[in-house]
Amino acid sequence: MRNRRQNVITLLLLAPSLVMAILLLAIPLLVVIAYSFAGRDSYGGVVTGFTLESYVELFQPAYLPIFVNSLKIAAMSTAVCVLIGYPIAYFIAFRAGKHSGLLLALLLIPFWIDFMIRMSSWMVLMGRNGTINGALTGAGIIDEPIRMIGTYPAVMVGMLYAFLPTTVLPIYAALSGINRRLLEAADDLGAGPVEAFWRVTFPLSLPGVMAAMLFVFVPAMGVYAIPVLLGGGKSIILGNLIVQLFLDFRNIPLGAAVSVVMLVLSSVIIVFYMRMLRRLEEAHA
Amino acid sequence: MKLSRIAGLYVPIVTILGYVFLFAPLVVLVIYSFNAGRSTVVWTGFSMDWYVQALNDRGLQRGLQVSAIVAVLSAIISTAIGTSAALAVIKRPFPAKNLFSTLLIAPLVLPEIVLAVGMLVATVWSGLALGYLTLVAGHVLVSVPFTFLIVRAAAATLDPRLDEAAADLGAHGGQIFMRVTLPLLLPAILSATLLSAIISFDNFVMSTFVSGVGTTPLPIQIYAMLKTGLTPKINALGTMLIGVNVLAILLVMGRYLKTVRGTGQ
Repeated sequence: MRNRRQNVITLLLLAPSLVMAILLLAIPLLVVIAYSFAGRDSYGGVVTGFTLESYVELFQPAYLPIFVNSLKIAAMSTAVCVLIGYPIAYFIAFRAGKHSGLLLALLLIPFWIDFMIRMSSWMVLMGRNGTINGALTGAGIIDEPIRMIGTYPAVMVGMLYAFLPTTVLPIYAALSGINRRLLEAADDLGAGPVEAFWRVTFPLSLPGVMAAMLFVFVPAMGVYAIPVLLGGGKSIILGNLIVQLFLDFRNIPLGAAVSVVMLVLSSVIIVFYMRMLRRLEEAHA
Repeated sequence: MKLSRIAGLYVPIVTILGYVFLFAPLVVLVIYSFNAGRSTVVWTGFSMDWYVQALNDRGLQRGLQVSAIVAVLSAIISTAIGTSAALAVIKRPFPAKNLFSTLLIAPLVLPEIVLAVGMLVATVWSGLALGYLTLVAGHVLVSVPFTFLIVRAAAATLDPRLDEAAADLGAHGGQIFMRVTLPLLLPAILSATLLSAIISFDNFVMSTFVSGVGTTPLPIQIYAMLKTGLTPKINALGTMLIGVNVLAILLVMGRYLKTVRGTGQ
């Protein structure tokens, strides 16, 4: 009897999240997959059934560059974020001393500020009549305002701004977990600071770096406000494509197919990440 | 030796530039929100006009109202879901526990746009209308991983002997929960609620897909305004939102610091 009651309590605790996962996660994803195999009639209406039309259309030359472009932008954003985020994480973990808490808190503030407000602040800075152009012309460094909005670097600035805190946190977590005695040992054994970094600190921080890469790369593929607002809407990536297909062209099957491809891509990346992480853990164990 | 010196300089320089990069745009935004003119270069005098205009903008008012309603509802629901799941994982034996945890964290790792497409397509498929229901549901989905992780982390630090002690003193299951577990978890539960309210309030991608006619949340409203061109009204609005968010963060951090100090003593 008592056992039965305990099971009921467990079930009651699990029920809300299971209902949510089924209703809001599992069923919607299955419906997306089903729609991606549906056809369209000549009026654009959805015809249920099984056809590979949408997938065939996706691999036409019109769409292929968008995939390549998205992967490129995601990879580039990841590289930029890690190159800049790693030293910041390193500074907070090893050099900041008692200020590390403050630096972490400061890092989190922009992270929680409305994303649109953060983007608009960069539009203010980088606009044709924006603050940066105003300062540079005022100082006599340039005669004509430079075009910044609508360029590739502007998109990268937006990506870095959106994902820098996400990059720093996992790397910091990995770095701060390193046993300092290992570094002392490296020093005792005659390793210089650079050698100690590459042979001790960096390998031990790799799980954090990989988590950071995962947390930048996957969402970066789906970002769409940044390329529109800062990139002038010229570089179309998967995120914009999905929004256009659903909200402008109302082409549900094709939009669903793009989403499925993105789901598969990110799942492959996540599985690859878990594999690598396990291998790293085994190597250190 | 030379290489290590360059490396030694690289770290602090990037850190300083990184923090300038993070805060400069916000500082500029705040300063020019008080500028009398439209320019974000020339200072023409102090004025609160843009604040008055932002607060009187019908679209922004409506967006704020929608966002506030959705944030409150989705925060309450996602905290309830995350907390019950966390308690189950920490306190109860059941099969496939790891799989269950992975399932709850999945919305954090999967691209949000795919989750959003799922919500939209499922809504169309089921014949429901887009509106408050779909907005709240979508925001619950993206904030549950956070509430689950926060409460689970706090619950994992609870000493199981407390439950045993309470049971020895004659408390039954419900009493143990109400008088021991819940009070100890309350700070984490409140942080989770606040955090998921902020997540909902800031949410953009999910909202793009699941908001209906007449239920446009604030970020979508701002996005629409930004697409047609910058107006200093947005700077004023941004400054107010920054103020609210910073206050919320201080509340969470203050609570967190208090708990850390409390357990330290």
